[in-house]
Amino acid sequence: MATNLNSSNVATRENRIGSITGYIGSLKDLASQSECGTLKGCSRCFSQSSSCLSMCALGQLSAIRDVAIIHHGPAGCSVAGAGTYYLDKVMAKKRGVTNDTVYVGTDMNENDTIFGSTEALRKIILEVNKRYSPKAIFVSSSCATGIIGEDIDSIVDEVKEEIDVPVIAVHCEGFKSRIWATGFDVSDHAVLSGIVKPPREGIKSNKINFKNFYESARPEIIEMFKEFDLEPTFLYCNSTVEELSHISEAVATTCICGTLGNYLGNVLEEKYGVPYVRSINQCGIVGFEAWLREIGKVTGRSEKIEKYIEEQRAIYLPKIEEVKKELKGLTAVLGMGPGYTFEVSRVLDELGIKVVWALAWHYDKKYENGDVPPSMKYLLDNNIDFEASVADQQNFEVMNILNKYKPDLYLSRHPGSTVWAIKNGTPSVYVADEYMIFGYKHTLEFAYTILDSIRNRSFEENLAKRTKLPYTDWWYKQNVGKFLVQDKT
Amino acid sequence: MAELRQIAIYGKGGIGKSTTTQNLTAGLVEHGKKVMVVGCDPKADSTRLLLGGLAQKTVLDTIREEGEDISLDRIMKEGFGGTKCVESGGPEPGVGCAGRGIITSINMLENLGAYTDDLDYVFYDVLGDVVCGGFAMPIREGKAKEIYIVASGEMMALYAANNISKGIQRYARTGGVRLGGIICNSRNVDRELDLLRAFSKELGTKLLYFVPRDNVVQHAEINKKTVIEYKPDSNQAQEYRNLAQAVIENTDFVIPTPMTQERLEEILMEYGMMELSDDYKI
Repeated sequence: MATNLNSSNVATRENRIGSITGYIGSLKDLASQSECGTLKGCSRCFSQSSSCLSMCALGQLSAIRDVAIIHHGPAGCSVAGAGTYYLDKVMAKKRGVTNDTVYVGTDMNENDTIFGSTEALRKIILEVNKRYSPKAIFVSSSCATGIIGEDIDSIVDEVKEEIDVPVIAVHCEGFKSRIWATGFDVSDHAVLSGIVKPPREGIKSNKINFKNFYESARPEIIEMFKEFDLEPTFLYCNSTVEELSHISEAVATTCICGTLGNYLGNVLEEKYGVPYVRSINQCGIVGFEAWLREIGKVTGRSEKIEKYIEEQRAIYLPKIEEVKKELKGLTAVLGMGPGYTFEVSRVLDELGIKVVWALAWHYDKKYENGDVPPSMKYLLDNNIDFEASVADQQNFEVMNILNKYKPDLYLSRHPGSTVWAIKNGTPSVYVADEYMIFGYKHTLEFAYTILDSIRNRSFEENLAKRTKLPYTDWWYKQNVGKFLVQDKT
Repeated sequence: MAELRQIAIYGKGGIGKSTTTQNLTAGLVEHGKKVMVVGCDPKADSTRLLLGGLAQKTVLDTIREEGEDISLDRIMKEGFGGTKCVESGGPEPGVGCAGRGIITSINMLENLGAYTDDLDYVFYDVLGDVVCGGFAMPIREGKAKEIYIVASGEMMALYAANNISKGIQRYARTGGVRLGGIICNSRNVDRELDLLRAFSKELGTKLLYFVPRDNVVQHAEINKKTVIEYKPDSNQAQEYRNLAQAVIENTDFVIPTPMTQERLEEILMEYGMMELSDDYKI
């Protein structure tokens, strides 16, 4: 990969790493086609839903403390601002800090679209700086500004002379990628190109960059890393601009989700030599241990880590083995982003639950370094196979699968998806928190959660009895891939 | 009373669309026709000859400065022989979206009731090539049903004309828009008349009129007048009257059949300057 941090624009996932949003087949086929480079994505002639990458990118950036997001576009584009604002405040409160980040929309109108509105944008940037004194200003494009070719880069360059803090152009035209996770890369690119500084000389750091979503397991991870003489810097929720400016000095970068951390980790490694921990993720026992050992390897702390693993195993493994007896033979369908779906599939296999179908909201053929994602490699190496599809939150396909396979359990990480499954009568586990299956303790808790969900199914059964879903019997009889069409490219 | 004829004029940039449209308009006015000219070019110079200068305030500038609650007379000026003149206007070069501007201003004209019953003709003088949806606005949604392409015997003018025909073909499938013919604004290219005839035939249309080259057109432009106003007795004034007559009498409206690049080049080879390539004179 050759990253160009001098350009404010980052290529889409489709272009950079061959990501796709449409596929149906088996896991093995998906992985082997990725490896030999023959995988071609499909598109849909009918699509029920999707999400905008700008929401993803700006949601990440606005979680940074005390910055300003200026979303240059029509008012509707900044609709995510309200939710983001709320979430950021809650997350700050939860941690016991304050986050004074502001999210400003420029409210482009018809005239602005015809005549361009860079002058208004300049005034808005200067006013936001004056009024809120943010620690950094991110100026985002939108579909409208993208189509008219509004020159945001030049305005950003010009106002830099008048503003002491970083001002960064963020290009997130929603139409440029079908994959909203491109927004993660867009936010990483903005941070890397505008905030991260080269490492200071003579600084010996014991910090490890930990890219995650909402840092809910922060205290316990800090505690754990203390044992290895490591100090995690959680990104980007509640990060400060000062912290971010020095992430190039860390001893390693790791992440909770490959989709989320891939770009940042690889670029920090490529530009500043910060090793990126490439392993399956921390979900489940196998994943947690593989991850810890990889950290041990890249930071030279293997001995301490082996000691920790041994202690923890003694506490938790017997309990996990006990609960596994009750889970054995259950069947599951899951629908998540690719950074989780193939990791959680592995954990379910570990717990003795049979995955009958896994949906990934998109799929990255290869990561930035050219390798197939580690989660896929693990499943292949261990001869685990199941039916798999790639569907960008196409709920109608999920419902078709649930009706055909009638699994004991549905798992999803995205709000709404499990609600539909429950209305269908399928017990569901909402894997909302990214640390829900983290390490020994949470794997045990996760196993108990599944047990709770399938032991008492009366809620799902009663709700299903009283709910009429909008799908017809016709649809349930169709192949899941009914609306998939081979891409011409 | 005859039905209103709405006509869009397309053609390569610099081919003489505005000049031809305004002189043609002057010819129609002499025939007692009521004409409105809508300039669809951000440069706002489509009505200069009819108005005797660029005195016009554009629709978009007016909306920008005064909002949408404006009266028609703020954006429409009366020009030569009682023609109604409107300029859509648009952004500065290199910023914003001129195409969106055309969409907005034509909608505004409709909202303000500019298309009155007494009009016989409305002309849309559209900038250059049909580069995006906005520039196709005059031929969408049942506005202009009649199109003339201004061309010359120069290769690039014919490339553009063929390309524009593709746009017309697209909208002809769903709407009533038809090509009325090619108007040649002569550049004195060798065998220009033959070439234009052959090209028009291949497009499935006809060469409506051949306007010869005459310097009086430039003199009239410097004087901010149409030729008919500036030198009513000149030969060129009569040519524009004839053009107006040809438009009035025209009943041949077709869906064009744009040609492939190869076929276009074949025609150019056949009628073009190839055999005289070493004998080029300025």
